[in-house]
Amino acid sequence: MTTVLKVEGLKKSYGTKEALSGIDFEVQEGEIFALIGPNGAGKTTTLRIVATLLTISGGKVTFLGHDLKKEPEKIRENISYLPEEAGAYRNMKGLDYLRFMANFYAGDGEKADEIVRRGEAIAELGSALKDKVGTYSKGMVRKLLLGRALMTKPAMAVLDEPTSGLDVINSLEVREIIKRFAKEGISVLLSSHNMLEIEFLSDRVALIDKGRILDAGTSGGLKDKYQAPNLEVVFRSAVR
Amino acid sequence: MNKFTNLLVKEIRDLVNKQLVTSLLMTVLIFYFVGNMAKSEMKRAEATQTISVLDLDQSTLSKGLAAGLKAASFKVEWSPAKDPEAAVQAAKQGDTYLLIVIPEGFGASVDRLEPKEISTFTFLRSFSIGGMRKSEILRAVIGATNNYLSNDILKKKVPDVPADILKTPIKSKDYVIVKDKMAEGSASTISGLVWSQSFLIPIILFVIIMSSAQMVISAVAMEKQNKTLETLLTVPIRRTSVVTTKMLAAGIVGLLSAGIYMIGMRSFMGGMTGGIRAGAAAGAVIKELGLTLAGRGYVLLGVAMFFAILCGLAMAMILGVLAEDLRSAQTLIMPIMLMILIPYLLSFFVDFQTMPLPAKLLIMAIPFSHPFMATPNIMLGHYSAVLYGILYMAVVFLVLVFIAARIFSTDRVLTMKLRWGKKKVVL
Repeated sequence: MTTVLKVEGLKKSYGTKEALSGIDFEVQEGEIFALIGPNGAGKTTTLRIVATLLTISGGKVTFLGHDLKKEPEKIRENISYLPEEAGAYRNMKGLDYLRFMANFYAGDGEKADEIVRRGEAIAELGSALKDKVGTYSKGMVRKLLLGRALMTKPAMAVLDEPTSGLDVINSLEVREIIKRFAKEGISVLLSSHNMLEIEFLSDRVALIDKGRILDAGTSGGLKDKYQAPNLEVVFRSAVR
Repeated sequence: MNKFTNLLVKEIRDLVNKQLVTSLLMTVLIFYFVGNMAKSEMKRAEATQTISVLDLDQSTLSKGLAAGLKAASFKVEWSPAKDPEAAVQAAKQGDTYLLIVIPEGFGASVDRLEPKEISTFTFLRSFSIGGMRKSEILRAVIGATNNYLSNDILKKKVPDVPADILKTPIKSKDYVIVKDKMAEGSASTISGLVWSQSFLIPIILFVIIMSSAQMVISAVAMEKQNKTLETLLTVPIRRTSVVTTKMLAAGIVGLLSAGIYMIGMRSFMGGMTGGIRAGAAAGAVIKELGLTLAGRGYVLLGVAMFFAILCGLAMAMILGVLAEDLRSAQTLIMPIMLMILIPYLLSFFVDFQTMPLPAKLLIMAIPFSHPFMATPNIMLGHYSAVLYGILYMAVVFLVLVFIAARIFSTDRVLTMKLRWGKKKVVL
C-alpha cells in the first residue's frame, strides 16, 4: 500500500495557545482515515493544515512526497477540501458552480466538461442544478459541495464533518458516495462527531483530544483493545 | 479559460449585479432629470421676465429707467396702485417676482442732486438659483442707469473733462503671471474659471476610490459570510491571484461605474451652469497662461489617479480580511473614507503648498492627497511634485500589496478579525 499522507510531530499554536502538541499519523491510498474527538480537540485544525489553509508551527506534513511547507500549490492540485460550514456562491447556478470549480483543475474545455459531468452524477441534484444555489436547501448545498470535492478525482478528499446538519436520508446518501469513491482509490481524511458514522465509514480511526492523538487503529481493533461495545465508550476509556 | 481569467470573470459577475445596474441607471436618470429641470429654470430666468413698476413720478427719467428695464428683457407691467403698500399687496397676489417703486419727484430730485430713493421689492417665492438671477439682472439695470445718469450729470457740470476720468481718475490694468508666462486679466476671474473647469476631478476621484474600495471589502466579506473563502483558498490557484483578481475586478467595475456616474454628473452640472458661460476673454487668458490640462498634463493626472485607486484597492483588500460579514464590511470602509475626505475637502479651501510644514507632511503622507494636488501642480508647471507624488503612491501600493499577499498566504486570512466589542485585532 502506498502512503499518501504522512504527518510527523505536527504542532500548531494560535499565539500562546497550543492547538496541536505533536501528532503523527499516516493515510494510505484508498483508505478512509477518521479523526474523532470532542470540540476543540484539534480535528479541524489538523484538516485545515492538510488542506493548506493553516501554516504549521512545528513538525512535518508530506503529501505524495511533497512537503506542505515548501510546495502547497502541488498539494492543492491533488486534494479537495470540504469544510464543515462550507457554502457555495449563492448567485451562481449549481451547474455554473461546478463549471467554475472544474476550470481550476482542467487544462482544456473537454476535460472540464468531463469533470462537470462527474460532479453532476455525484451531486445527484438533477434539474435543480440549473437553479441558483441561493434557492437550495442545506442538504442540496452539501451534496453540491461533495460533488465539487470529489468530481476532480483528487488523490485525497479532506472532509470536515461531511454530514453536518443533514437529515438521515441525505446523511446516508453522502456516506455511500464517500464509501464508493474510496473504493475507486481516493483516500479520505475526515472528522466527525458521529461515532456511528465513523464506524460505518472509516478503515482506521485516530482518537484525538487536547491536541494529542491518544490512540489509533481500526474500529474493531480499538473496541477489542478497550473491551468497549462502541467507539464512544472506546473514546471515554482512552481519555481516562 | 485559464485559472486567473476564470476567477476574474467570477469576481466581475459578483460585482455587476441587478442592484448595481439599477442604482447606476437611476443615478444617471436622476442627474439627467434634475439637470434638465435646472437648465430650463435658468433659461426661464434669463428669458423675458415680468416686473411690476409703480411710477409715481411720471418724469422723463422714470420713463427712461423703465425703458432700460425693457431693454434688459423685462416685461414692464405698470402697477395701477396709488401708493407703495397697495402696489406690494397687488404684486403679492400676482406671479411677479419683482416690483420697483419710483417715488414722486424722483426725476426732479436727481436734477437737484438730492436724489430720492427708489424701492425694489423681490418676492422670494423659492430659493432656486433662477429666482436669484432675476434680482441680479434688476440690480445690473439700476447700476447701468446710475452710470448713465452720473455720466450725464458730470457732462453738464464739468463739460471739459470726460466723465469716466472724473469717476475713475486712477486707471489700472490687471496682469497675471504664471511662471514665465504673463497675460492681462483678473486673478480672481481666472482662478474662478480654472476652478470651474477642474472641480469635477476631485469628485470623480472620490467616487471611484470609494466605490472600488467598498466593492473589494464587500467581496472579501461576502466570501467569509457565505463560507466560500476556505474552499477558494484550497483550489490550485496562487494566493496572489486571488488578491489580484478581486482588486482588478473592483477596479474595472469601479472605473465603469464612475464613468457612468460622471456622465450623469456632467449632464447635471451642464444644466446648473448652462446659463452662466465663462467669458471668451478669460478663456483665452487661461490658454495664454498655460493653465490647461493638455497632453502631458492629462497623462500625469491619469497616472496619479490610477495609483491612488490602486492604493485604495490594496488598503480595502487588507481591511476586507478584518470583516466577519457584509455588515462589518460597511464599517471598515471608514478609515479609507476619512483618508480621502481630508484631502478632498481641503482641496476646495486650502492651498497645500502654503500649509505649515507639519500639516503639509501629514497631508502628503496620505497617498490620496497626491492626485488632489496634481491638478494645480500640473497647471502651475510643478511636474516634479506630481512625479514624486506618483512615486510615493507606487511605493505605498507595493507595500500594501505585499502585506495583502502575506496575509492571504498565511493563517491570518482566516483568523484575523476586528472585534468591535474588545476593540482589538485578533491575530
